[in-house]
Amino acid sequence: MYKAMLNFEARPAEELKSFLEEKLGNKIKNIEIRARTAGKEEKVAFHDLWISCSKDALIELVDLLSEFDFPIFHVISGDDVGDCILLNYHFSLFSSAGRGKRLGVVVSVLVPKNELSVPSLYDRIPGIEYSEREMHEMLGVFFESLPDRSLVFLPEDWDEKVHPWRRDESGLSSRHIRELS
Amino acid sequence: MAEENKTYTIPIGPVHVGLKEPITAWLQVDGERIVDVRIRPGAIHRGIEYMARERNPIQVIYLAERICGICSFAHIVSFVRVVEDATGIPVPPRAKYIRTILLELERIHSHILWAGVACYTLGYDSAFNLGMLLREKVMDVLEAMTGNRVNYGVGTIGGVRRDITPKVAKAINEMLDYYNREFSYFYNVVTEDPIVKARMRNVGVLSKENAIRYCAVGPTARASGLRMDLRWSSPYEAYEDLEVEPVVPQDYLGKVHGDVFDRFFVRVMEVYQSLDIVKKCMDGLPDGPIMHESKPAKLLSLLKEAEGVGQSSIEAPRGDDTHAIKLTKGEENITWWKVRAPTYANAMSWPIMFKDQEIADAPLIINSIDPCISCMERMLVVDEKGSSTMTTKEELIKLCRDKTRRLMHR
Repeated sequence: MYKAMLNFEARPAEELKSFLEEKLGNKIKNIEIRARTAGKEEKVAFHDLWISCSKDALIELVDLLSEFDFPIFHVISGDDVGDCILLNYHFSLFSSAGRGKRLGVVVSVLVPKNELSVPSLYDRIPGIEYSEREMHEMLGVFFESLPDRSLVFLPEDWDEKVHPWRRDESGLSSRHIRELS
Repeated sequence: MAEENKTYTIPIGPVHVGLKEPITAWLQVDGERIVDVRIRPGAIHRGIEYMARERNPIQVIYLAERICGICSFAHIVSFVRVVEDATGIPVPPRAKYIRTILLELERIHSHILWAGVACYTLGYDSAFNLGMLLREKVMDVLEAMTGNRVNYGVGTIGGVRRDITPKVAKAINEMLDYYNREFSYFYNVVTEDPIVKARMRNVGVLSKENAIRYCAVGPTARASGLRMDLRWSSPYEAYEDLEVEPVVPQDYLGKVHGDVFDRFFVRVMEVYQSLDIVKKCMDGLPDGPIMHESKPAKLLSLLKEAEGVGQSSIEAPRGDDTHAIKLTKGEENITWWKVRAPTYANAMSWPIMFKDQEIADAPLIINSIDPCISCMERMLVVDEKGSSTMTTKEELIKLCRDKTRRLMHR
């Protein structure tokens, strides 16, 4: 279990990047540091870090991130990309560390459709529950060790074999969609 | 013995169209005490993210605006910022300042509305009416500036669609004078009232540790003592040029309770902060164009050629509003889009706030994270033997108000 503490000391994105590369090697790739500008003079206001990570290294990566700070979780976004389901975990580090110190971290994980399960982060970050349940119902991704897998947003009588955001045969069919015009 | 330990389940909810997350709460109660809570959102999930797949980014601006009526501009700004992040379309400085001014005007109207409704829930109707009266001024300014009281239709990718004319500038400055003169009266009347304090203090407490673990956002997180504000920790638009400090109760009151009163206090202080930000933006408003590309057809062809993913988190009145998007080159429509409105995050903390509280405090606690009060249109009391009675919103409000009256006669 994590100690729920926010770190007041921020570290630069480059340091985080090289630390992760050293620790995880080829389990992560396409690390991109994106500077976000703001204000009249377009000064660099903060950074976002985008990481692609293999499914097996997800827990390890989140554990490494939390050595720096408690990863404040925002949301999981996702899409059906053919043979795989893409999940993007959106986190923030150093949210409490000072002006312009927050680092947005996006972790992208590809989950193959023939083995559609990922480890749940629920026991590390309880605030992730709704998002994992949402990805379960919308894209059919199974989150191991998530205690409650009931529907969040879909109606009570929904057929749980239908996943609305899928682009294959388990997605919506014409009987689910009512065109209003 | 079994009779004495019997608990009842009370569902509160579910529907209100103004929110993306209308929520049902099943309260497990033992007498008046709430033992456990189960939350079930989704009664009116409209599939907005799915609908966006068949629309181009310019059409989705107006879809995003309709996620929420109160913080519609926050959703637009978050949406256009993800598109700008994915495509690299620049925003002129004047547009950034106008966006900031609108965001803060929206925050003023949202916070005053919330504070007024919180008073109404307690049965403090004179303060509610005063709050509504005060809010009209900012609504007038929003209407003068955009033509609408809600859903302003002002944001666009790479800028804004309405400029601040001298006439609007005059209205804004008049509004600032008005609030600096009148708003403290509302604040004093409410916070110095012993009954209000008795109803809000130590009710619906969320500890700092739980606020972090359950990823609470916005005023809810700040009221638990977390120094967290995206306008400060990751400045966007014009906030880079302004000094915005997070409003946390320990800086003003010396101590954090993390209760409903602290949430009230944080929101009220943020109204003052927003007035200050609007003033600074008006003083420093740069000249120049307000749009990167004023011709929609040209902008669309630019967007069609763009490829990339983007994310954006901004501080909406209720907290962190996160959007993420993917655009594919050669495709006119959006590939995927995900929205995380602040209530989505704050609703995770509800079960903790409810533990060991009284049913009479339930409306206040639900209200304290600032979802829509109309979520409680009705509630159904079911006992374990299967008989059920319907409790209307009026009865629930009456229950809450009776408690205030009991305190007054004590």
